[in-house]
Amino acid sequence: MDDQTLPAVSASRICKQFNGIEILRDVSLEVQTSETVCVIGPSGSGKSTFLRCLNWLEVPDSGAVRIGGRPFGVVPLSGGGTRPMSKTELAAARTRISMVFQHFALWPHLTVLGNVVEAPIHVLKRPRAEALEEGRRLLDRVGLGHKADVFPHTLSGGQKQRVAISRALAMRPEVLLFDEPTSALDPEMVGEVLAVIRDLAAEGMTMIVVTHEMGFAREAADRIVFIDGGQIIEVGEPEAFFERPATERARRFIARYMK
Amino acid sequence: MTLAAFLTLITGALTTAALSFSGIAMGVPLGLVLALVRWLRVPLLSAVVAVYVSLVRATPIVTFALFIFFVLPSFGIELAPVPAAILTLTLNTAAFNCEIWRGALEIFPRDQIEAARAHGMTTPLLFRRIILPQLWRSSIGPLTSEMTILLKGTPAVAVIGVVEITRAASRIGAETYRPLPPFLTAAVIYTLLIVVIVAGQRLVERRIARLYGYAV
Amino acid sequence: MMAGLAIVWSQRDLVLSGFYNTVLLTLACLAISLPLGVLGAVFLLEAPNRLRRICAAFVDLLRCVPFLLLAYVVYYGLPELGLRFEAWGAGLITLVIYNTAYLIEIFRSAGMVLPREELEAARAFGLTTPLIYRRIVLPQIALSAAPVVGNQVIVMIKDSALLMIITVQELTFAANFLSTNYFTPFAPFAVAMLLYWSLCLIVELVVGRLIRLRRSRHG
Repeated sequence: MDDQTLPAVSASRICKQFNGIEILRDVSLEVQTSETVCVIGPSGSGKSTFLRCLNWLEVPDSGAVRIGGRPFGVVPLSGGGTRPMSKTELAAARTRISMVFQHFALWPHLTVLGNVVEAPIHVLKRPRAEALEEGRRLLDRVGLGHKADVFPHTLSGGQKQRVAISRALAMRPEVLLFDEPTSALDPEMVGEVLAVIRDLAAEGMTMIVVTHEMGFAREAADRIVFIDGGQIIEVGEPEAFFERPATERARRFIARYMK
Repeated sequence: MTLAAFLTLITGALTTAALSFSGIAMGVPLGLVLALVRWLRVPLLSAVVAVYVSLVRATPIVTFALFIFFVLPSFGIELAPVPAAILTLTLNTAAFNCEIWRGALEIFPRDQIEAARAHGMTTPLLFRRIILPQLWRSSIGPLTSEMTILLKGTPAVAVIGVVEITRAASRIGAETYRPLPPFLTAAVIYTLLIVVIVAGQRLVERRIARLYGYAV
Repeated sequence: MMAGLAIVWSQRDLVLSGFYNTVLLTLACLAISLPLGVLGAVFLLEAPNRLRRICAAFVDLLRCVPFLLLAYVVYYGLPELGLRFEAWGAGLITLVIYNTAYLIEIFRSAGMVLPREELEAARAFGLTTPLIYRRIVLPQIALSAAPVVGNQVIVMIKDSALLMIITVQELTFAANFLSTNYFTPFAPFAVAMLLYWSLCLIVELVVGRLIRLRRSRHG
């Protein structure tokens, strides 16, 4: 099933309500392998919820998610229909799709390297030595090899987020999700994190990035997805989207942000 | 006070320490198990634990000790005073420890849990590798307070015939007709025991703060 | 078990008088130790350094001693110095001494966390120290310390059970009396535990009210 032609991520008709308030309505999106998609939109538009529905941190009320062609969160039954994945099945499925959080969510009781190798060793059961070696390599790659043995609290926000990216990459995921990776950072640290994401895009990592950094989205994304009011309003190539938005809502949003 | 009387007091103090230690050694993990039942919202069991915790927290240790010592035999379980005392202290402190663990579980940062889930961890792994190593560190203060409270609560088991330090002191007092010296000696020994526990807590907390950079 | 309940029912006067004594001891202790606790806390906050340290050490020491030991000291020990009390009186004195030590600490820490500016503002308006305490500090402490005081009251109720050992005829004494005289342990102790439980629930209810009152006033 992992055919090259199948999209890396396909979400179809995702709906989600919280306490009777509709957050997502019929959101569908396909992301191709090696594609970088930036999801933008006003605060509260549902873009983070959409991202979290992709790895079942929020369970959609309806709709389907496929990762590499395989259904996510549910198991097809032979007689048609589906059943929800068991907790173990869901945990296993989540190893194929990794995530970077707004507030880093590093585990403070583990060293930087410990954070990176924790899941590879204990979830993926990789040999310890191999995981440690790869962990160090991943930290080197984000410029934090020298911080491997310190605890997260000694790092700056930008450094923490780069560790979080290494931690996600250590899973060797098919897809990497970013939930506003720079929103909790001081302005002078945004650049170092975006540079890492940009490098990953150039290397062909499949990524979905929810962000408020319009400059970054325009420059690094293959496609822009604009969400407002729980719906995808517009999808387009960055150049076209920012220069000639097709919808009035996108035009107003861009105008407000570009000021 | 004679040397013999002083030795009696020391024996009583050792009994007190041994009873408290046994209660703590079993009550702290038992409290964690109860807290997990509540935290995971295990159907039915969770409600049972809630009632148990509320009832035991409201019951004086002395009443609870009498209940266990006199009621268990009618269910065919005969316990000597010392095991009955240890059972009382364990069940009592477990109820209080349950609330401490549960409080710490409820405020455990959600984002860390989500990160663990996003990296494919199952609940047992998440608990063992991510939550527990931090949970005991953040609970150490309240757990130690509960230990000192339990230590101060142990004299209650004198009522079922265990000769711990308070009982030993009152015996010496009754024999010598001079109760104040043994009582004051017992008070000093108690204070020392509590100082030791609190000093131990400070030591552990300082090490944690130095190592991981979060104050507990 | 039904037979046991029947016995407890037939001897309900005994149980109720034990319960009454527990409640009375608690209320009497509160009536005395609350004001003493406040005075002690004010003293610890305002007294000259040297004196304050001695008193603080004394309060800390009291908090290291188990309740039963203090009860023994009062009931068996003080007669050695010529101070003799009935069991009930000795019980009340023990409760008062013990709880006052804790309440002093509770009120002191509640007073410590009051915002400095607030007190400075009061002084700037020319309020004298007694007036500041009466008008500014104490009303706030009364509400902010309510949950901790509530916990202490529950501890107090439970401590009072230990007074059975010095023959005060409170609730646990009554339960134990029934249990040994009628050879039916379950029902008397179960009833006693339920009564303690209900007392604690009432205290929690009152504290809950106070907390809500505080929220509605101070947000």
